Amino acid sequence: MRFTLIKNVKQDKGMKPLLNGLLIFITLYLIFDIFVKSHTLGLSVTMVHTTLFGNADEFLDPMNKSVFLEFIHMQIFFLMMLLLTLSAVFIRLLHKKAKVILTVNLVMVFGLLTPLTLFGTYFSSTEFISLYLFCFFIWHSIAFYMSSRALWELNFAK
Amino acid sequence: MPNKAYKYAVGYFLLFSILLLLSGALIFSDTIGFSYESVQNYYLGNAASFTPSKSFDGLLKIVVPHIFAFGLFIMVVLHFLLFTCKRNTKEIQIIIYTSFITASLELFSPFLIVSGFDFFIYMKVFSFFLFYFVILYTIFILFKSIIYN
Repeated sequence: MRFTLIKNVKQDKGMKPLLNGLLIFITLYLIFDIFVKSHTLGLSVTMVHTTLFGNADEFLDPMNKSVFLEFIHMQIFFLMMLLLTLSAVFIRLLHKKAKVILTVNLVMVFGLLTPLTLFGTYFSSTEFISLYLFCFFIWHSIAFYMSSRALWELNFAK
Repeated sequence: MPNKAYKYAVGYFLLFSILLLLSGALIFSDTIGFSYESVQNYYLGNAASFTPSKSFDGLLKIVVPHIFAFGLFIMVVLHFLLFTCKRNTKEIQIIIYTSFITASLELFSPFLIVSGFDFFIYMKVFSFFLFYFVILYTIFILFKSIIYN
């Protein structure tokens, strides 16, 4: 995280394009992740329920426990690396602005709740599905705001 | 203010790490198991339960993405120790070497189990627990540092 040591990141000829590239890739990931999730797990209560628990009427099998655990394990890994990187860049570029800590707290809390509520859905109660979807969309929205705001700050803000 | 915000980000990252370790432990217990027999049956197969033995190709498919993920995870978690009072101590060196050695044993012992070295069944389970202990201890040090320093 060399960018935390450079005094003026906006003027640095090396760090500026590097951070621009990273932020653009993070933004793209956030957008495409929604499409991927809509195909793999579903983005509505009914679809998530069918993917996890199957549907006897449509002859759809439920998701295997080990497959589910592997899925959630991978999601946590991606989520933690993405949110740490994004938060580090966001804090570095906008540390003088108000509500930076609030934004970081919100994205992290909803990010943490996303796998936890999915875990709760599979092992405890299907009531968690709507909470999972709510957390999923909220962390995506906040992360999208963070990457766009950081891009704006890096390139256009005075 | 940036330091405070970084502390929050690192704190949440550590919570994610605990969640990752928890899901990893659940996968281990669900698919492999922690007893000698269950590890043996998982890797070498069991005729009674119609479980086939694991092939080198199958093991490689699991191990390859984990090599990168383990390296990255250990590096990211452990590099935060450099910002604590443990920097430049003997303890941090022991933690770093133990993490990478136990992670390597955890990753590569299945190949030796399949090759007929039964001793590595114990190594697989032992390295798993030692790796978890070292990472959880590191997380504890980091949380303590975030809260008190």
